[in-house]
Amino acid sequence: MANAKALKFFDCNCAFGPYRTRVFRFARTADELLGEMDFSNIEQALVYHTAMRFDHPVVGNERVVRESRGHSRLFPTWALLPSQTEEQPPLETLLREMRRQGVRALRLFPDDHRYFLDEITWGDQMAVFMERRIPLFIRASLDRIATLLRSFPDLVVVTGSQGSNPLDRYAWPLIERYPNLIFETSSYLVDGGIEEFCKRYSATRLIFGSGFPDNAGGAAMLTLARAEISDTDRRAIAWDNLCRLLEEASLP
Amino acid sequence: MNPSPIAREYLEQGYSTTCPIIDMHGHLGPFYGCYLPSSSLERMRHRLKRCGVRRIICSHHSALACDAERGNALMQEVVRQHPDEFLGYWVINPNYPDATARDLRSFDRRTGFVGLKFWPDYHLVPVTSPRYAPALEYADAYGLLVLVHTFGESPFDAPGMLAEVGERYPRARFLMGHSGYGEWERSVAIARDLPNVYLDLTSVFQALDFSQMPGGSLMPRAPALSPHVNGLIEYMVETAGSHKVVFGSDLPWYSQHYHAGAVLFAHISDEARHDILHHNAERLLGKHLVGTSESKPP
Repeated sequence: MANAKALKFFDCNCAFGPYRTRVFRFARTADELLGEMDFSNIEQALVYHTAMRFDHPVVGNERVVRESRGHSRLFPTWALLPSQTEEQPPLETLLREMRRQGVRALRLFPDDHRYFLDEITWGDQMAVFMERRIPLFIRASLDRIATLLRSFPDLVVVTGSQGSNPLDRYAWPLIERYPNLIFETSSYLVDGGIEEFCKRYSATRLIFGSGFPDNAGGAAMLTLARAEISDTDRRAIAWDNLCRLLEEASLP
Repeated sequence: MNPSPIAREYLEQGYSTTCPIIDMHGHLGPFYGCYLPSSSLERMRHRLKRCGVRRIICSHHSALACDAERGNALMQEVVRQHPDEFLGYWVINPNYPDATARDLRSFDRRTGFVGLKFWPDYHLVPVTSPRYAPALEYADAYGLLVLVHTFGESPFDAPGMLAEVGERYPRARFLMGHSGYGEWERSVAIARDLPNVYLDLTSVFQALDFSQMPGGSLMPRAPALSPHVNGLIEYMVETAGSHKVVFGSDLPWYSQHYHAGAVLFAHISDEARHDILHHNAERLLGKHLVGTSESKPP
């Protein structure tokens, strides 16, 4: 394969901002994150602010836009809440604001923010996201992702494919059933997993994520850089697939 | 950009000609709890070469998860056939004291086995239990390596329990498998304070978010443990010293490039990287590395 130093990585899963618990090494600011990205050979990142998870989505969504402004390598995402509690603007307003602020993807943290991932909770919003192909980055177990996709089978959902143990016995049936389900690679560290996935399915269903600062920086990057796949597939996972997902998102 | 020449070599060719890897924590064979694409022996050997791994020290999944006698015999066959690539740990299941006594009597006649492997969380016997004592006494008498699965807050193998055993058997040399995942400060302090206890990097680089696991996970749930692991290597090196940290990957579970990437892109010196990736293992394995030719990367 070609020299991996020349390969460009677009990271779909990384964060900056403070944590309430001890994190050995993290990026408090966008500038610090860019320094870490440079060190780990990562060119661009689709970022979230820790305040989106641990302060409040409304606070964090404002901060991620403000604090990443002027950094052309960082692309902000927003955290989403169920509509019933009216903590966020109505959906149409939210979508227009996303367009205005250059936000083209949303994140869901159902464990941190405590809501169900089902039709009862999301019936009023998910059909719109499905139709507009707005990518939803969801941090949840695969059985809960499956529950959501049973009601909204064409949603564009990006999630991790494993936790502490390799989860392909859970993941692959979902990949076969739901055409817009995509896995990010920050935790896809089962040996030979990327190779096997590309062979059985397609590189279009994987996108690169570092998991910074939850996971060790550089680890997922080197795994993809040295995976035994074609350079075309490698470029797709490292860069092209995420660009395509963001381009396909339709905002009013 | 990371200035390390070793990291540059890995990016350019997938291995280093100046810094080989010795992987102190691997396994062999398929595993009942998940699909492992690289579990065949030939696939393992191929992956070792691609990542510049000079030797891997393994225990067999069958020996750990079901049948120690069968699994240890399978491991023995592999180290006999491929001594330049594989060394072994003899799995001790403390639920079978007669088999343990028999295995210890014959251990010194087995070539290619560097020590013992304990899996307390899964055999459901505390590492401090008298049921482990015969094996620990043997390891202490002969200065064997003992790789112990450890996990933060476990009732069977939490870091503090390994410290107790490490102090009781000072001539045995303990590898703290997974570095007592989650109880990082405790584990690192133990490795700093006890000369015979080492930190094993196997699968410590992944933030284990137990909330993301569907039901039936093999791993204990430990929500109070630190879910962030970036920067952990730097902390280990600063606190315990690079001479107390060894490389492990759990292959065929986890990618050696993933684990190597975490070491290569940690903010530590290349001297520390050499210690972690091979120097410490060379020191611990000593005579077991003598007299065999070395595998070369592709």
